[in-house]
Amino acid sequence: MDHHPTNWGRPRDDRVDPYGTFPIHARPRPAKDVFADGVQRTQQPIVTGTSVIGLKYSGGVMLAADNLASYGSLARYKDVQRLHPVGTSTVVGAGGDMSDFQHLQHMLDSLVTEEFTYDDGNKLGPTEIYEYLSRVMYGRRSKMDPLWNALVVGGVKPNGESFLGYVDLLGTTYQSPTIATGFGAYIAQPLLRNAVDERPDPLSEEEAVKVIQQCMKALFYRDARSLNKYQIAKVTSEGVTISDPLEAPTVWGFAEGIRGYGAQTQ
Amino acid sequence: MSAQERRFNPYTENGGTILAIAGQDFTVIAGDTRQSEGYNIQTRYAPKVFRLTDKAVLAVNGFAADGNMFVQKVQQRLEWYQHAHNKEMPLRAIARLIQTMLYAKRFFPYYVYNILGGIEDDGSGAVYSFDPVGSYEREACRAAGAAQSLVQPFLDNQIYFKNQLPPSGGAHPKHLPLKEVLSLVIDSFTGATERHIEVGDGLEIYIVTASKRPNADLEAIANLKQVPGGFIGGEDGEKIYVVRRELKKD
Amino acid sequence: MSIMEYNGGSVVAMAGKDCVAIASDLRLGNQALTIATNFEKVFPVTERIMLGMAGLATDVLTLRDRFRFRVNMYTIKEEREIEPETFAHLVSSTLYERRFGPYFIEPVIAGLGKGTNKPFIASTDVIGCINFAKDFVVAGTATDKLFGVAESLWEPDLEPEDLFETISQTLMNAVDRDAFSGWGAVVHIITPEKVITRHLKARMD
Repeated sequence: MDHHPTNWGRPRDDRVDPYGTFPIHARPRPAKDVFADGVQRTQQPIVTGTSVIGLKYSGGVMLAADNLASYGSLARYKDVQRLHPVGTSTVVGAGGDMSDFQHLQHMLDSLVTEEFTYDDGNKLGPTEIYEYLSRVMYGRRSKMDPLWNALVVGGVKPNGESFLGYVDLLGTTYQSPTIATGFGAYIAQPLLRNAVDERPDPLSEEEAVKVIQQCMKALFYRDARSLNKYQIAKVTSEGVTISDPLEAPTVWGFAEGIRGYGAQTQ
Repeated sequence: MSAQERRFNPYTENGGTILAIAGQDFTVIAGDTRQSEGYNIQTRYAPKVFRLTDKAVLAVNGFAADGNMFVQKVQQRLEWYQHAHNKEMPLRAIARLIQTMLYAKRFFPYYVYNILGGIEDDGSGAVYSFDPVGSYEREACRAAGAAQSLVQPFLDNQIYFKNQLPPSGGAHPKHLPLKEVLSLVIDSFTGATERHIEVGDGLEIYIVTASKRPNADLEAIANLKQVPGGFIGGEDGEKIYVVRRELKKD
Repeated sequence: MSIMEYNGGSVVAMAGKDCVAIASDLRLGNQALTIATNFEKVFPVTERIMLGMAGLATDVLTLRDRFRFRVNMYTIKEEREIEPETFAHLVSSTLYERRFGPYFIEPVIAGLGKGTNKPFIASTDVIGCINFAKDFVVAGTATDKLFGVAESLWEPDLEPEDLFETISQTLMNAVDRDAFSGWGAVVHIITPEKVITRHLKARMD
C-alpha cells in the first residue's frame, strides 16, 4: 500500500508493489494517468475492495468482507456490500475492482433470472456459480480484458455438502476448507487454518463466527485499506443470511506511547 | 523501477510437479496436489492428474487455469470422437490431438507442461511428454514442473540405468515391475518435497493397466482404488487405479 | 548472464561412517563453449580436510592460494593442524571480508575431525553464510539436480566404498542433465587412514 503523501487520493496501482515495500525514492508509479486516453479495458483497478475470507463449518459456509471501497488510499465509500447472494444457496464475496464486481452481480442476477424463467424446478447451486464465474473470468483474461477481482464462492450443494471456492482475474481456481484473498492471505489464512486444520470434526457455528471475528479484527489492525465495519454471510441448507454491519472491539491505548502511532508531532 | 508502461500479465505459475513412468504392460502417472502462487499455498488438494479414457491419463503442470481449461477441452474432443467413431481414441492419436491443440495456440500459448500416460493399442505402456506449444515425443519416463530438475536425473539413473554398468554378460532390464516403479515414484516425490517448497501436501498416483494383465501385484498396494470409467473393454479391458498418499505439508 | 554460470562446474560432498567424500566435475567453460576438461575444483587443505569450490574459475584459483596462505599462517601461529570446523569459519570470514564485492564462488568443505574422526561437511554461499549439514552439501550450476539425486540416493552411515558409489552416481547423473557441468569427474574419499582419489569415466558430451 502506498502511504506517501504525494500519492494520497490517487488510484492505487495494485499491479506494482501492493504493500508499499519500496523506499520512497524508488516508489513505482504508472507512467501516465489512468484516464489519459479514456478507459477501454481494466488495466488496473480503480475503486477497490480488500480481503474476503471464508471457511467451511458444520452444516454450512461462512464468508466475511468489510464495507469499504477505496479509491487509492482514500477511504471513498464506507457502506458497500461486498457479499452478494446468488440464488438460495450461494454467496459470492469480492475483492478488487468494485465496478467489475457490480458488472458480475448483474451477470449473476440475470443468470438466476433466466434459470427461474425456465420453471423446470432446477436451481443453480454453488458449484454451478463457481464454474460459471471461472469461465467468465478465464474468458475475460484470455481476451486480455480481465475483470479485476478475487472472488470467493461459498454455498451448500443440493446434497447438503458445503462448498468453498476461489476464482480470480486470471481464471485461477481452487477449493479449500479455508480461503482468504489479498492481504487476508497473509493475515487471516494462518488464523483460519489454525482453527480448522488437524481437527477430526468440523467447527460449530459459534466457533466459526468467533474465528471469523478474530480474523476481521486482525485485518482491521494491520490492513491499511480495511474498515472496522464488516458483514458475515452464512449459507446453510436453510438458505443465505447476510448480517448487518458489525464492528470489532479494538484497543488503541497502547498506541499512545509509541512514536508513529500516537499523537506526537515531534 | 522505471516509468515504463506495464500491462496485464495473463499468466502465473502455480508450482507442483508431475511424473510418469511406462512399464511393459502398465503406466504410472503421478502428481503432487499442492497449488501455490508465490509463497502462498492456495490449496493442499488440487488434482493435476486426470483420467481421459479407460486407457489414457493426462497430467498437467504450470499455470493451473490454463491446465484445467486444457484438460476440459481435451476431454470434450475425446467425447466427440467417441460419439463419431463409437470407440475410444487410441493413445497415439490422443498424443497427436494434444500437439495440435497446443500448437493452435502457438501465439498465446497454454502455459502448461503436459505428460500423457496410458496403454498403446499394442498393449504396451507408454508415456508422451509435451512442451507448452506442442513439441512431443514418446518416452519411457518423464518428470515435469517445479521439481523437474530434481527428479529427472534420478529417473535417468534408476529407470534408464544411466551411469550404471550392466551385470557381466547381461543387460539392463527394459522395463521395471510395478512394485519397483511405485517405490521410485514415491521416493522421487518425497525427495522433491524435502528440497522444493512448491512440492508437497499430497501425492496422487494413477496406474493404468493393459487389457488381460494379471493384476495380482496390485493387491499389495495400500489405499488402491479403481477409477470408474466407461469400461468399453469389459472385464478384460484396460483399467485405471489411483493411489493417494500424504506428503509433508511444510 | 550470471557470473556464477560463466565457467560452469559443480561440487558435492557427503558424510559417511567415519569417512567423508567430496567430488567435482572437470569442466571449465566460457559460457556454452568448453575450454578444458581437466579443471579440478577440489583441493587438499590438510591431510584430512579438502575444499571444493564452484563458481568463477579465476576466483577458484585465487581463493585456493589465499586459503593455502591462511592455513599455513594458522599452522605456524597455532603450531597444530587446523580442524575442519575451524577451517569452515576461516572460509566464512575470508568470504565475508568481501561482503560488498564478493568472490564469486560457493565453497564446499569436507573433512574428518582430529582424533575423533568425526565426519564434517559444510558449505557456504558467496559471502560466507555457513551451512553445516549432517548428510550432504552441494554447489555449482547443477545444484538443483545434485539436491534431487542426493536426497533420494544418500543414506546414513555408509562405508567408504558405498559412499564412493553414492557420491559418484549422484554427481554423474546430476551433471549429465546440466549443460555447464560434466566432462569427467573426480572423487576423493577421506578416511582416517588415507585419502582415496579416483577419476571417473563419465559421459563426455
